[in-house]
Amino acid sequence: MNQYVLLKTDLNRWVEMARKKYRVYAPERVQEDIFFAPLLGPPESEFLTGLAVLPYLPPKDLVFPQSEILFSYSREGEKIALTVPDQETEASVLLGIRSCDTVGISWMDKFFRENFNDTYYGRRRDNLITVTIACNRPIKNCFCVCCEGGPFLDPGKNSFDLQLIDMNDRYLVECNSDQGETLINLDPALFSAPPPDMEAMRNRLEEEARSMFLPEPTSYMGTAIRRITADSVPSEVWTELGERCFDDGGCTFVCPCCSCFGVGYLAHGSGGCHYRFWDSCDYSGFTREVSGHNPRGEKGERFKRRFFHKLSYQYVKKDGRIGCVGCGRCITACPGEVGMPTVVETIRRSDTGDSSKE
Amino acid sequence: MTNIYLPHLARIITIQDDTYDTKTFGLELVDAEARNTFRFRPGQFLEIAVLGVGEAPFGLASNPNHPEAFFVTIRAVGSVTDALHKLSPGDIVGVRGPFGNGFPFDEIKGKNVLFVAGGIGLPPLRSLIEPMLDARSEFGDVQILYGARSPADLVYKNRLKEWETMQDVRFMMTVDVGDSGWSGNVGVVTTIFPKADIIVDNTVAFVCGPPIMIRFAIMELLRLGFAPANIISTLERYMKCGVGKCGHCAIGHKYVCLDGPVFSYREMMKLPERVV
Repeated sequence: MNQYVLLKTDLNRWVEMARKKYRVYAPERVQEDIFFAPLLGPPESEFLTGLAVLPYLPPKDLVFPQSEILFSYSREGEKIALTVPDQETEASVLLGIRSCDTVGISWMDKFFRENFNDTYYGRRRDNLITVTIACNRPIKNCFCVCCEGGPFLDPGKNSFDLQLIDMNDRYLVECNSDQGETLINLDPALFSAPPPDMEAMRNRLEEEARSMFLPEPTSYMGTAIRRITADSVPSEVWTELGERCFDDGGCTFVCPCCSCFGVGYLAHGSGGCHYRFWDSCDYSGFTREVSGHNPRGEKGERFKRRFFHKLSYQYVKKDGRIGCVGCGRCITACPGEVGMPTVVETIRRSDTGDSSKE
Repeated sequence: MTNIYLPHLARIITIQDDTYDTKTFGLELVDAEARNTFRFRPGQFLEIAVLGVGEAPFGLASNPNHPEAFFVTIRAVGSVTDALHKLSPGDIVGVRGPFGNGFPFDEIKGKNVLFVAGGIGLPPLRSLIEPMLDARSEFGDVQILYGARSPADLVYKNRLKEWETMQDVRFMMTVDVGDSGWSGNVGVVTTIFPKADIIVDNTVAFVCGPPIMIRFAIMELLRLGFAPANIISTLERYMKCGVGKCGHCAIGHKYVCLDGPVFSYREMMKLPERVV
C-alpha cells in the first residue's frame, strides 16, 4: 500500500483530469435524495467529507444493472444468429463511495466471479476504479462496525483501489491497487508524501469514528448469526417478522449484497432477446413452480430464507463474510420497519437461553 | 472466456410421443465442436430454451455412453413446455449445460441397485439405468419398480417391455388406476413393495417422481431398513440460471442447480427446510 497527501483545493483539478479519461460517478443530490450519477462538472464537495453520505441506492447497478440483455437472437430463414451485447464498457471511476458499499462490491466480486464466472459482471467490474471516502462520522442508520463494513477500510484486509481519509484541509490517500496508482498518475504532482505523524492521526480518526457507534457493537450480530446457523429461531418469530413484511422487495433492491435475478424473454418479429433483471426473494413468485406448488409460499419462510442467506455461518463459509455490510439502507426502505437491525434485535430478544438445539 | 448464459443452438432430430402429454425430444448441437465435445453424467440436466419464449431445466434421460444422441422427455405443463411441444423435427432450440452433480455411478459399483420411479420421474433415472445395463456385471442385483397414474401415463413403453424380459433385471410396474386393457398391478408404487422381494442389504435406492410419491417411497424404504445415506433422490425447484447465480433454487446454503439436483435423503434431512 502507498500513501499520499492530496490537498482539498486540488481535488477538483484531479477530478477534472479523471473526467477526461473516465466516466466519473459521484454522489449527487436529486431533489430530496442522493444518487450516484455521472459527473458533468465538479463534484458536490459536501458529499466528499468524513461525514457519512449514503446515496439511496448502492452503486451495485454499475456492475450489476437493474436489467441487462444476456443475448439477442435473430432468424433469417433457417439461420439463427445469437448476439451478445458489446463487451466493451466505458472505463469508470466511482468517487465518494463509502467503505460499506466498497465491501459490498467485494462481496459481489467473489459471488459473481468465482465458481462459474459471470462475464457480464466481470467486464463492468474490470472497468471500474473505486475511490472510497472513509467515514469519520456515521449517520443515523449506520451499523457498519457490526458487519466489518467500515467505517474505514483496512488496507491489509479489504480489497480496494483508493481510500481518501478526510483530515480537514487535506486527504490522506491510501492506494491499494495498480488501478489506484493509475489514478494517482493522472497528475502525480498533486500528490505528496505524507508526514511521519499522519499514520497516527489516521488511526486516531478511525478509533474516534468507531467509538461513535453503540458500545461493544461488534458482538451485536453474534447471537443472530449463531441462532440462524443452528436453525434455532422459533418459527413463530419468523412468522411475526414476516407479517410485518410488505413483500415489496425494497430491502433486496437497496442491499449492496443482494444479487438475485430473474430472466425475461422478449420476442418481436423474427428476433428477440433474453434479459435479466433484479429479482427478490421477498416475492412469493420467486419460488413458485409451474404446478402451483410453492416451497416458500409463506412470508415467514421467505423471511427466514433471506436472513439465513445473509447471516448463517453456512453462507459465511461460502461467501467469506456475512451478506450485510451495515449500510442501513434496508431500514430506510422498509415500510414495515423490519430492516436488518430490527431482525437481529428480535432474534436476540427471542433467545430464551434454551440452547438444546444449538 | 465462456459465457455461462449463452446457449448453444441445438436442432431437434426426433420427437416421439410418449403419452398424451409427454414427448421425448432427440437433440443435436448445431456447432460441430460443441457436438463432438458434449458429455454428461447420469442425473445431470440441461437448460433448454425456446428462444423468445423461455428457458427451463430438464433432466437428461438418455444413456451418457451415447452423448452424440442425447434426449430429454418433457411433459407439457407450462409456457416453455407447451412451446416445446409445438416444435417439429428440424426446429432449433437453445441448450446450456449439462449442469448439476448427477447420480453416483463408479462409487456404487459392486452394490445392489433399486430404482423406484413414479410417472415422469423415470426419464432422469433412465440416464442411470442404461449405463448400468451396459456395465451389468459390475453391479449386483438390479431392480426397477415403476408406477404411473394410468396405463396411458407410462413412458418408454417399448423399453419397459424389454426390461420386463431381461434375465438380469427384476422389473415390476403398477398403475394407480387401470383400464380395460390392463391386467397388471393396480395401486401406487409403494403397494408393490411387499411382493417385490426388495433386497435391503448392500443396496442403494434411487427414487424419482412427483414430490408426494417421493415422500411415501422414502418413508417405506426407511421402514424396510434402508439407511438415509443409501436413499438417493432428486429435488426440483424453480430455476433460472442453472449455475448458482440467480438464487431461485437455493435451499439453505445448497443450490439445487450446483449441489443437486441429486441428494441423498441424509443430505435432505440436514437442509433447513422440509423438502420431502
